[in-house]
Amino acid sequence: MTVECLVDERLPRASFVKRHRDAMLGVLTVALFFAVWQAIFLVVPLNPLFFTTPSLIAAGFVDLVESGDLLHDLAVSAVPFGLGLLAAVIVGVPLGILMGWRVRIGYALDPLMTVFYASPLVALAPLLVIFFGVGLAGKTVIVFTLAVFPFIFNAASGVRAVDRLLINVVRSLGGRERDIYLKILFPSVLPYIVAGARIAIGRALIAVLVGEFFAASEGIGYAISRFGDIFAIDRMFACIITVMVIAVVLTEGIRWAERAAFPWRASQ
Amino acid sequence: MADQALDLNVGASAFVTPALRRRIESLALGAATIALVLVVWELLPHILPMQQGTRLFFSVPSRIFATLWQMFATGTIWGPLGVGATAFAIGLALAIAAGLPLGILLGRSATLNAMFDPFVTAFNATPRLVFLPLLMLWLGIGLWSKVAIVFFGALFPLLINTHEGIRNADKLLINVVRSFGATGWDVARLVVVPNALPFIVVGLRLAIGRAILGVVVAEFFGAQDGLGVVMVRAASSFNVDVVFAGLVLFAVLSLVMTGMVKLIEDRMSRWRPQRAQNE
Repeated sequence: MTVECLVDERLPRASFVKRHRDAMLGVLTVALFFAVWQAIFLVVPLNPLFFTTPSLIAAGFVDLVESGDLLHDLAVSAVPFGLGLLAAVIVGVPLGILMGWRVRIGYALDPLMTVFYASPLVALAPLLVIFFGVGLAGKTVIVFTLAVFPFIFNAASGVRAVDRLLINVVRSLGGRERDIYLKILFPSVLPYIVAGARIAIGRALIAVLVGEFFAASEGIGYAISRFGDIFAIDRMFACIITVMVIAVVLTEGIRWAERAAFPWRASQ
Repeated sequence: MADQALDLNVGASAFVTPALRRRIESLALGAATIALVLVVWELLPHILPMQQGTRLFFSVPSRIFATLWQMFATGTIWGPLGVGATAFAIGLALAIAAGLPLGILLGRSATLNAMFDPFVTAFNATPRLVFLPLLMLWLGIGLWSKVAIVFFGALFPLLINTHEGIRNADKLLINVVRSFGATGWDVARLVVVPNALPFIVVGLRLAIGRAILGVVVAEFFGAQDGLGVVMVRAASSFNVDVVFAGLVLFAVLSLVMTGMVKLIEDRMSRWRPQRAQNE
């Protein structure tokens, strides 16, 4: 009896460790990294102008949160980020679908768009800042410029990957044009657009930072460069780590959503 | 004679397969669109009445190319371009030197991979630009902060694709080679490395794009010298021609370099049914 109980107790626990071994190893390594970082400066004297420790960063983070500066800067940056991405979806997805659906439009626009997509468009930033100013408009346009191309190309490849057979089947069974769009095109293109969103978000983050490094008076990018200018390394690190966490949450969140919503694509 | 001519004709029409016709059509349409955009852009100031203020921000292709031509003719471009190229080359070389061994290590060891996965994920998801103010603080605004940004940008595509390529190696092939008495070195030489190579080349293409991006942003914000600096200075004095000329130069460099790697990539992956991971 007792033996059985022991076995029952033990088995799930062993399998829990096994199942989460990778995640635990990762968490342990990160913890170790911060511990070593903290410990080094117990031995080596700390020059607070150039270096900092995790405990100081944590204190700086609490400071920024309590004063409300961090939330304010994040909110300021989130607006152009969201607006630019929204505009990129509104323009990029229909354009991409058109390029994929009408073969000749695809032929005509593909080279032009490829040139734009492959060139470092960030180089346009100084010009866009002059055109549209250093405020919300300028940042939104930079975000749009960088984020629109992943949507265009992914929507186009999504349409090109549509199964012709399915279209013929819907046609033979008396489906209308609307049915083709709603029942075949849309479900087939959606996973590609979500995958495009993952790439676009990365580029949009770069765009917001570029816009705010250039010339801004608020925003998370501005905060990072200002804390750098005044040698406030602890608060600078707090902001950098915040951006890192946001970037990971956004991209991994979309990856998770992709797996959950389109499991048939998860293997690809 | 007539027969021969006829024969040639038949040969030609047989040669123009539907696939080739599509290819010609796509090339012609693509080139026509680009030409059309350039022409409309060139004519825009003549069609649209523009105010003096707007004219200040506007440039046309002919002026941009004249500016480019002048930059090369007078040789003023070589100095800034060389500065950027140096940072690009050193940073990319360091990224290759670090990324390949690390990718192989993480690809071979599941434990190491699990340990370092959070770091790789976090740094890959974060725009490297966010570290620029920090790197400028640590390394100054000279060559080395640029090299560091290029390095961080290029490292992760190389590392992740190498890792993916190593892990993708066919277990069956490894077992076969092992059964015939291969050593670990043989397995690497015969199966793992040839399998990983196309992945690594894709990584290299992505890395080049990121590296050029790194040079651009580093020169925008933390440099005294380089094409990016020239562009920012030109922008702040409303010299729009120079800004566009710089953009064209960066775009051409980026397209040429990634295009060359793409050629290698297509040759290598021609025979494989499953393409290497792209983004």
